[in-house]
Amino acid sequence: MHMHLRRRGVIGLAVLTSITLALTACAGSGGKDEGPESSIGFADCGTNPNACNNGKIKQGGTITYALGKDVKAWNTLSSAGNTLEYSHALFGVVPRVHVYYPDLSVQVNKDMMESVEITAKEPMTVTYKIRKEAVWNDGTPISADDFIYAWKTQNGKDCKDCKAANTSGFTQLASVTGSDGGKTVTAVFTQAFPDWQQLFSPIYPAHIAAQHGTLGESFLWLEQNVPTYTGGPYKIEKYEPNFALTLVPNEKYYGTKPTMQKVIYRIITKDSELIPAMRNREINAFSPIPTPDLVAQAKQIEDAHWYLGKNLSWEHFDFNLKNPFLADKALRLAMFTAIDRKAIIDKTVGQYAPETKPFGNHNFVPQMKAYKDHVTPTGQGSGDLEKAKKILTDAGYKIEGGKLITPKGETVPTLRMRYTTGNQLRKDSCELFASMVKNLGIQIEIVQTDNLGGTLSSGDFDVMIFAWVNSPLRIGGAKQLWRSDSSSNYGKWVNTESDKLLDEAARTVGDDAKAFDLINKANELMVADAYVLPLFQREMFLVVNKQYTNIRPNPSNHGPVYNVGTWGLLEAAN
Amino acid sequence: MIAYAIRRLLISIPVLIVSSFLVFAMIANSGDPLEALRVTNPPTPPETIALEAKRLYLDLPWYERYWVWMNNLWHGEFGPSVNVRENINTEVWTRLGVTLRLVLVAMLLALILAIVAGVTAAVKQYSKTDYTVTFFGFLFLATPTFWLAILLKEAGITLNQIDGDPESRMFYTYGDRSVFLDDPTWWNKFTDVAGHMILPTVSLALITFASWSRFQRSSMLEVLGSDYIRLARAKGLRWRKVLTKHALRTALIPLTTVTAIDFAGLIGGAVITETIFGWAGMGQYLIDSVTTRDVYALMAWLLVAGAIVVLFNLIADLLYGVLDPRIRHD
Repeated sequence: MHMHLRRRGVIGLAVLTSITLALTACAGSGGKDEGPESSIGFADCGTNPNACNNGKIKQGGTITYALGKDVKAWNTLSSAGNTLEYSHALFGVVPRVHVYYPDLSVQVNKDMMESVEITAKEPMTVTYKIRKEAVWNDGTPISADDFIYAWKTQNGKDCKDCKAANTSGFTQLASVTGSDGGKTVTAVFTQAFPDWQQLFSPIYPAHIAAQHGTLGESFLWLEQNVPTYTGGPYKIEKYEPNFALTLVPNEKYYGTKPTMQKVIYRIITKDSELIPAMRNREINAFSPIPTPDLVAQAKQIEDAHWYLGKNLSWEHFDFNLKNPFLADKALRLAMFTAIDRKAIIDKTVGQYAPETKPFGNHNFVPQMKAYKDHVTPTGQGSGDLEKAKKILTDAGYKIEGGKLITPKGETVPTLRMRYTTGNQLRKDSCELFASMVKNLGIQIEIVQTDNLGGTLSSGDFDVMIFAWVNSPLRIGGAKQLWRSDSSSNYGKWVNTESDKLLDEAARTVGDDAKAFDLINKANELMVADAYVLPLFQREMFLVVNKQYTNIRPNPSNHGPVYNVGTWGLLEAAN
Repeated sequence: MIAYAIRRLLISIPVLIVSSFLVFAMIANSGDPLEALRVTNPPTPPETIALEAKRLYLDLPWYERYWVWMNNLWHGEFGPSVNVRENINTEVWTRLGVTLRLVLVAMLLALILAIVAGVTAAVKQYSKTDYTVTFFGFLFLATPTFWLAILLKEAGITLNQIDGDPESRMFYTYGDRSVFLDDPTWWNKFTDVAGHMILPTVSLALITFASWSRFQRSSMLEVLGSDYIRLARAKGLRWRKVLTKHALRTALIPLTTVTAIDFAGLIGGAVITETIFGWAGMGQYLIDSVTTRDVYALMAWLLVAGAIVVLFNLIADLLYGVLDPRIRHD
């Protein structure tokens, strides 16, 4: 009898548990749709991007920030280390000359640098003055040697074994020399390099590298070994693979001392697990690529601020001009005119980011001063079907039996449109594109690719959707993407007039307004040729527990960690 | 029996070689591991891409790469990972340890639950107890792993919030331990690890328990209906003795073999449970390797998981022989 009762008890408990599970699951998925309170901390980030969510800081505390990837390489200058997440994890450790701020301004790191100036235009010369107090944590001064090491490992000449992620700018440097006991660095360029502020961000300790063999060997050593060195506000206390990276204050830091006792980067590779971890306070902040579910759930976290804004990544449709049919501007223009970008946005990204709007520039985003909408006035992306048909008929095309016939009497064949496997947003956009141009008698075959790079570089597409990520430094980047002979100009648009303008912009140093104007003129030429149709900017998403201050959204690739040294615990927080 | 075991192990070698060749061919031709380097802005220098391709032997045809991989394997190396800092050998064994911790505890829990539930249901056939056990068995059998895991997480978070202190937790939703503890005493470390284990092990155990309890119930019913049990009862043996000494021992034989086979499968990767609860085990390694097209890491996973499956299948067969005197391996 006693046993019987016990069994009943167990069964009762099991039933109760299952009911509890079901009820709690319902509670999790229901509730209010929006959390206006949760966005208060970031409410002024639109108007005051560099200082929003600030408050009085109390000493100490720990913050756990979710990192989407485990750090597999520690030299962010190398190809293996050139990953956004690795760079974010090391932001407080390896110092950099310039920092990209949330308002997209590029500012000198005043903790480390006394001044950075262009001191001559012919040849272009930049003089870097390092603060005397700036030292690595072993007491070795941060000096010209560190700049020279960065240059030699990334210029493609001095070190053939160095797998540098990017040699741009360093290849244009004729010399990097030190003076004033190594605290003044003079960089002389062979040719103008307008995006010079991207150089030396970050720098690594040359004196440590020197202990590990040749340039190539030390470059690899820096990649493979967890830093014990630091020149930033924090140092690495512990790294546990696939688990977490723990930073603690660098007691030798020469700038404003950090207040947090620990900054923990917790590796969480699956975005869907961020919300439970945040609700359970296993993490305190995260900034993933948003999805509708993630945004909706984050808004329900009562003790967190959330921010959904725009970053510097933008989606676009590209034509491959090597296709003889697409070589005709009239056809391209008609197709882009038939595309209704607003409708595409409404049915995709607009579902969770209703503020998303089509934008109209291939080099600048609306948050940049140089932005001008060149696309909208041309009617491209308007979905004006009648106008699109008129463009075609004026050019001698005919639509017969649902097929488009060229002026030469050929039927426009089915075009292959490619998108990245698993990217639902791009797949949906492709399907909408196909349905829109079908009205012009154009058939689209949508084919996925699991090798975006290979597909683009081999030109194995007629139409492609993908995204570029801009940097706040855009002068040289414009030439890199759109010059006729650029390897990144995948659709092979050729325009010598645009090339001249881009070349001139790339030679313009110290007069950003002029450079931006030249780039915009080149962009107008490209827009008129209906080569690439910008769709919309992608979103950045930041969720932070309300007890933290000074952590704020940053749309650039420096991200919310750009000021990790000033993150703190709010004095009034519990 | 030793000869039988050796013969079985020898037969498994060509099986592993053929399967490794097929998998290598499929993965090597399924995409470009250097794709991420090719679409950067600004672009990665071609020299860098060439050096990286050479490191990963991508400058060789895939069948030559397979040969290089075999050669490396012969010398005890799994080959270079796409992630330059990663040592595949270390990674595989570390992750195997993590998975073992999860799977062993979950299996033990599932085994106890399954035996108790299965035997009880069989002994009380068609009673309320039987129907209840059957109901829960089928409920968990029909529940997708990921959904059960999400439900458990929600329940855990809700229970954590009951005391009103946002910083206190009994259940953890991610990882196998906390990154750091304010007061790292032995007891605190133990409770922390236990708190991290509860939800994933319960999740895995309930799913596993579901099928095992059905096995145990039917096996027990079969034994209880057999002549020797009737004889034992006719001889006047006490019911409890009949159950434990005569019926249960025989009825455990099928479950033992099923457990050995399932155990091997789960060690290969409790993929969903590990992913949802953020355990860096074999399952997550498989997913990561596929995502990054890390062919050598995938091959290492395949080899280790394959070897375990072969080994545990053999153990299951041998155990059957040991437990059931009617079966002998020659």
